[in-house]
Order: sequence, then C-alpha cells, then structure tokens
Amino acid sequence: MAPSARNRAGNPGQSARRIALSAVLAALAMIFSYVETLIPVPVPVPGIKLGIANLVIVMAIYKLGFRYAFTINCVRIVISGLLFSGVFGMIYSFAGGVLSIAVMYLLKRTGWFSMIGVSMAGGVAHNLGQLITASLLVSSVRMMSYFSILLFSGLISGILVGIIASLIDRRLPNVTV
Amino acid sequence: MIKKADILLFFIILAFGLAVSWWSLTENSAGEKAVVTVDGRLYGTYPLSEDQTVEIIQENGHHNDITIKDGQVSMTFSDCRNQICVASGAISQTKDTIVCLPNKVVVEIIGEKPGDVDIITGTSGPAGAAGAVGAVSSAEGGDADGAVS
Repeated sequence: MAPSARNRAGNPGQSARRIALSAVLAALAMIFSYVETLIPVPVPVPGIKLGIANLVIVMAIYKLGFRYAFTINCVRIVISGLLFSGVFGMIYSFAGGVLSIAVMYLLKRTGWFSMIGVSMAGGVAHNLGQLITASLLVSSVRMMSYFSILLFSGLISGILVGIIASLIDRRLPNVTV
Repeated sequence: MIKKADILLFFIILAFGLAVSWWSLTENSAGEKAVVTVDGRLYGTYPLSEDQTVEIIQENGHHNDITIKDGQVSMTFSDCRNQICVASGAISQTKDTIVCLPNKVVVEIIGEKPGDVDIITGTSGPAGAAGAVGAVSSAEGGDADGAVS
C-alpha cells in the first residue's frame, strides 16, 4: 500500500488511487445523503438534518486534503440535489457545504482543534450558510429567528459526526493515500 | 482526543446561541397584523382580529393559503414540495414567521404602530400593554425589498 515515491503530484499511480478513492467517498456521501432523507425530522424547521454525509467530508479533509474534500462535497451536493432534494435544496446545500468545508479546513490548519472541534464548527457553519442563503433568497431579515435553533442543531450533529470520525480515524491510522 | 480549544469553542458557540435565543424570546409580544411578502415584495397586510382565509396566488402559478383564526395565522395550503410551511403551525407573536422557501412566501407578525421605533420596548411590554412593541420589526418588514434583488 505504501507509495514508494512521496512526491504527490509526480506519481501517476498515487494520483489515480486518490481519484478512485474520491469517487468511492463521493458515492458513500451520496448514500448517506439518501439515508438522511429517509430519517424523519421531528421538528418542522427547514435545514435540520443529521449531517451524516459530513462524516465523509470530515474524513476526506483529514485523509486526502482540502481539494479532494471540496470536490467530493460538490459532486455529492449536485448529484444528491438532482436525485432527492431539488434545485432549491441544492442551492442551500451548496452554500452550507462550501462555508462548512472552508471553516473546517481553516480550523484544522491551525492545529488547535481535534476532529470533534473541527466537525462541530463545520456543522454550525453549514447551518449558518444555509440560513444566510435562505434569507437572501426570500429577502427577509426575520429568517434569523431560526438562527438559534439551527445553531444548536448544527452544534449537536457536528459533535456527533466528530466523535464518529475520530473513532474511525483511530481504527485506520496508517492508511496513506 | 478532545483538546482544550474544542471545549472553549463549544462554550463560545453555546453562549452565542443562548444570547441569540434569549434576545429573540424576550422581545416577543402579541402581534396585531400579519404581513405577507412574496419574493421580498409586500403582498398584503391583514389584521389578526378578523377571521379570514387569504389566497396568495402568484404570477408563476404558485399558490399558498393563509388562514387567520382567533388571532393566529397559519399556512393552510401550499403547492410547494416540502410542506414545511404548512407543518410549522400557527403564529401570533411579533418576530414569528412562517416561511415557504420554495414559493418565496413569508408571513410575518407585526405590532400596532409601524415606523415608531422604541428602543426600550424589548423588556417593558407585556402583551397588549402598548402598541409600540414590535415597532422595530415592522420597520424592517416595510422596506424588506430593495436589499436583495
């Protein structure tokens, strides 16, 4: 498994492996998105989700790096948007996804936070991004009354995703791709 | 596994969320009118004292119904996909909103005197004490369009 050359860009075999792994992760994230649509949400607030698809994204940020994680997220959002949630859902997911991945990457780079903290901030940022988009689309400042509900739900789901991600991370520590 | 910075960040977010929810809870008061905006434009204003059903039919064919009954507004029909607006129930307090995102319909509750901004009202007004409560939010609702096309 261990690549003989550590030069990331120059090794075509490693590059192919990373692309194949990205495709597998994108498919996995899509399956998680689908599973999420099957689980009913008890509160009638738009945007509350379990966020299990973000588990894949958190893992991708740590294992593959920002660019791969970003690509996987975009593929996941476009395809699951077309399949399950419609174009509007896609716009919200995209805003949330981009903001969340940017925040997670920046927090990871500081080195101050564990996976749980990174994922927690990502969950909150995801919901915040969706809310900002929603208030732009309907041009109403009052959408912000949903803010606290979405903030807490993002916080909780982000922590859960972070705990699961760090459990997985401990079980596959030596995989280099 | 968990670092100190994680816990610190958690409490910062938690405190921020609690502050926002405290702010949004304490400034509520009984509303007087329901304001309907479609795609940022004012569609109509309806008093909560009068029981009625309003059909909101847009040029693009989208259709929502709001029903005012016993001083409360609810969205009783929507042709949108997710039906979150219908499921969100009845509202009657200022700052309450029903939002139908797919159809871009927003129902907001405002107080009595629009445009009369009073800074102190947030803590002073039990329901029905003075009409000025909720004036801040109604001023917002009035010029909601123009901000974003």
